[in-house]
Amino acid sequence: MNAAMKPGPRHTSSPASRVSTALSTVVAGLRSWSGLLAGATLLVIAVGAASVPNFLTPFSLATAMATLGPAALMAFPVALLVITRDIDISVASTAALTAACSGLVFAAQGPTPVAVAVALAVGAVCGAVNGFFVAVLELPALLVTLGTLALFRGLCYVILGSTPISPIPDFYAALGNNTVGLTILPWALVPAIVAALVAGVVLRGLPTGRRVLATGGNPATARYSGVRTRRLRFGLFVASGLAAAVAGMIQAGLTSQVSPDLALGMELDVITMVFLGGVSVLGGKGSIPAVVWAAALLMFIRKFLQLNNVSGYAQGIVIGVVLIGSLVVTNAASALVERRRRSAVSAESTPATTS
Amino acid sequence: MRFRIATATAVLAMGALVSTACSSGTVSGTSSTTAGANGCVSGPVKVGIIPKLGTDPYMVTVKNAAEAAAAASGNSDVIYTSPSDASGAAQIPFVNQLISQGVNAIMISGSDVNSTSAALKKAQDAGIKVVSFDSDVASGSRGFFVNQADTSLIGAQMLTAMGDMIDHEGDFAVLSSTQTAVNQNAWIDTIRATLSSDPRYAKMNLVTVAYGEEKADVNSQKALELVRAYPDLKGIIVPAGIGLPAAAEALSKNGYLGKVKLSGLAPVSLVKQYIATGNVQDVWWNVPDLGTLAYHTAVQYAKCQIEPKDGAKYSVPGLGEFTVGADGQVLLGPPTIVTPQNTDSFPF
Repeated sequence: MNAAMKPGPRHTSSPASRVSTALSTVVAGLRSWSGLLAGATLLVIAVGAASVPNFLTPFSLATAMATLGPAALMAFPVALLVITRDIDISVASTAALTAACSGLVFAAQGPTPVAVAVALAVGAVCGAVNGFFVAVLELPALLVTLGTLALFRGLCYVILGSTPISPIPDFYAALGNNTVGLTILPWALVPAIVAALVAGVVLRGLPTGRRVLATGGNPATARYSGVRTRRLRFGLFVASGLAAAVAGMIQAGLTSQVSPDLALGMELDVITMVFLGGVSVLGGKGSIPAVVWAAALLMFIRKFLQLNNVSGYAQGIVIGVVLIGSLVVTNAASALVERRRRSAVSAESTPATTS
Repeated sequence: MRFRIATATAVLAMGALVSTACSSGTVSGTSSTTAGANGCVSGPVKVGIIPKLGTDPYMVTVKNAAEAAAAASGNSDVIYTSPSDASGAAQIPFVNQLISQGVNAIMISGSDVNSTSAALKKAQDAGIKVVSFDSDVASGSRGFFVNQADTSLIGAQMLTAMGDMIDHEGDFAVLSSTQTAVNQNAWIDTIRATLSSDPRYAKMNLVTVAYGEEKADVNSQKALELVRAYPDLKGIIVPAGIGLPAAAEALSKNGYLGKVKLSGLAPVSLVKQYIATGNVQDVWWNVPDLGTLAYHTAVQYAKCQIEPKDGAKYSVPGLGEFTVGADGQVLLGPPTIVTPQNTDSFPF
C-alpha cells in the first residue's frame, strides 16, 4: 500500500480530510482498472437488461460472444506483446492469409486436418517473420507489422483473386456457428477463453510472465539479469501468429467462406481491447483480467447499441469515445495519485526540516 | 488481490452465463411475434431491412418506398438497419439483431454472397422469412430474390437508346469502366452481337472501347479524347454509374454535347439535367418500385400467401402481377430507357 491510501494522523478529524479519505478510496478503486471495467460492464448489463427487450436472451448472448471470439482470441497474445514494448497490428491480415492457405487445401478436396495444420503452420511462419524483423533485427514492431499487415493482405488477394472459397468444411462451420453442448457458450469463444487463461496464468504465475514484465519494464536490465529477451519476444510473435490462425478459422466459420477480405480491419478491435484493458502503451504493465473485462465491456456496449438499432457508424463513434475516455480517466487517476503521494511525502518530511 | 477478485468475478459470471443456458436448453432466436404454429403471420408483419451501407442513397430510396408501402397497408413496423462497412461480415450482427428483435421477415441486399448465410439460416430456423433484393445472397439462405433488372437486357437497351438518338447511323464508341469488369464486358458483347446480327444497326459502327477506370476525372478526360480522336463520332455509350455523369459534364462544358450523344447506365438523379437537353438517354430502373416489390414480397411470404416456387404468381398493389422464376427469382421488369418524357417518374 502506498502513502496516498492512508491520510496522515494529524488530519483524521477534519471534514476536509474525510473528503480526501473518500477520494483516496475512489482513486484506489480507479487504480484497479479491471475493477472499474467490471463495474462499467455490470452497469451496461443492468441498463441493457432493464431497458432493451431481448438483451439477455440466450440467442443475444451467444451471437454476441461468437462475434467477439476471433478478435478476443488475438487480443491476448497482442497484450503480452504490448507489455514487452512490442505490438502486432498484422494479426487480422495474418488470420486472412492463414485462412486463404487452408482454403486452398479444402478447395482441392484436401482433408480438414491438413487444412487446419496448414493454417497453423502459416500462422507460425507469419509470426516468425514478424518476430525475425522485430526481435532479431531490432526493427520497430509497429512499422514491421504495419508492413506485414499490407503484405499478408496483399498475398490473400494474390492467392484467392477476388473469388471467395465456399463451401467450407463442417469443422469450420461448427467452430464459427455452434455452441458447446447445450450451453450458450459458442465454440467461437472457446479458443479466446483458453488464450485468456493461458496468458493470465503465464503472466502472473510463471517465470515466463515475470520475464515478460521485466522485458517491458526495462529491456536492458532484463537482458543483464539473464532474460533471453530476443527469444521471448520472437516466441510471443509466433504465439500471436498461431492465435491469428485459429481466429481465421473461426472467422471463416462465421462467414461461411474464405475471402481475401476476411477479418479486414479487425486489428482495430484487437488493439481497442488491449488498450481499453489498461495495458500500458509504454510497456511493462498490464493485466489479463482487465483485458477480459475490456472485451466483455465492448461486447455488451455493442449489443446494447445493436439492439437499439444504432447504425454501424454511431457504434464506431461510441467505441472511439470509450477508448479515448478510458485513456483520459487512467491518465487523470494516475496524475491524482501521483500528486497526493508527493504532498503526503512533503507533509511527512516538513516537520523534520523545520525543527 | 484485485487480480484475484476480478478473476473470481469473471469466472463466476462465466459460470452464471453457461448455467442459465443449460436450463434453457437450445439457443434459438426468440420470436415475440404473432406467428402461428406453422410460422405464418396473421396480424401486422414486422419487416427488418439490411442494406449494404446504411447511408447509401440507393438503399435509403428503397427504405423510403418500403416504409411508404408499410404505411399504406397499415403495417408500419419497418426496422431499417445501418451497417457502416460494405462487407458481408459487417452485416452479420445486424441479422442477429433482427432475429433478437423477433421480426417476421428480413429484406437484405447482400454485401457478398456467403458471409451472412449461417446467420440467415438461424433466422429461417427461428421462423423468419428471408428475401434478398438488389444483390443476392446464397440461395439456400433466402426464399426470394427480388432482382431489379434483367441485366442481360441492359446492353441491348443502351444500344437501342443510342440508335434512336443518332438515327441508327454513324460512328460511336464505348467508354466502359475497367477492362476486367464482368457486367460491362457482357453488355459490350451484347452490343457487338446485336450490331452484327440486327439489320437496323447495319449503318452503325463501333469504333473503339475506352476505359474510365471507375474514376470521374479519367472518364471526363477519356470522353474528350474520344471526341477529338474521332471527328465523325456521333455518340458514346457509357455503361457505368460514375462514367455517364462525368462524360456528360465534360462534353457539355466543352460544347460537344449535342454533336455527340450519350447513352449509358447511371442513377437518373445524377444525369437528370443532361437527359433534359435531349442529348443523353439513361438505362435505369425504378428504385422505389424495387423497394415496394421487395417489401410486399416479404410481407406476403411471411403471411404464407406465397412460396418461392417456379411459376407462382402474385400481385403487388400499384405494380401489378409478378411471376416467380427459377430459384425464387422475381424480376422487377426490363430496364427502362429514361428520356425527357419519363424522367420525372425516376426519383433516384
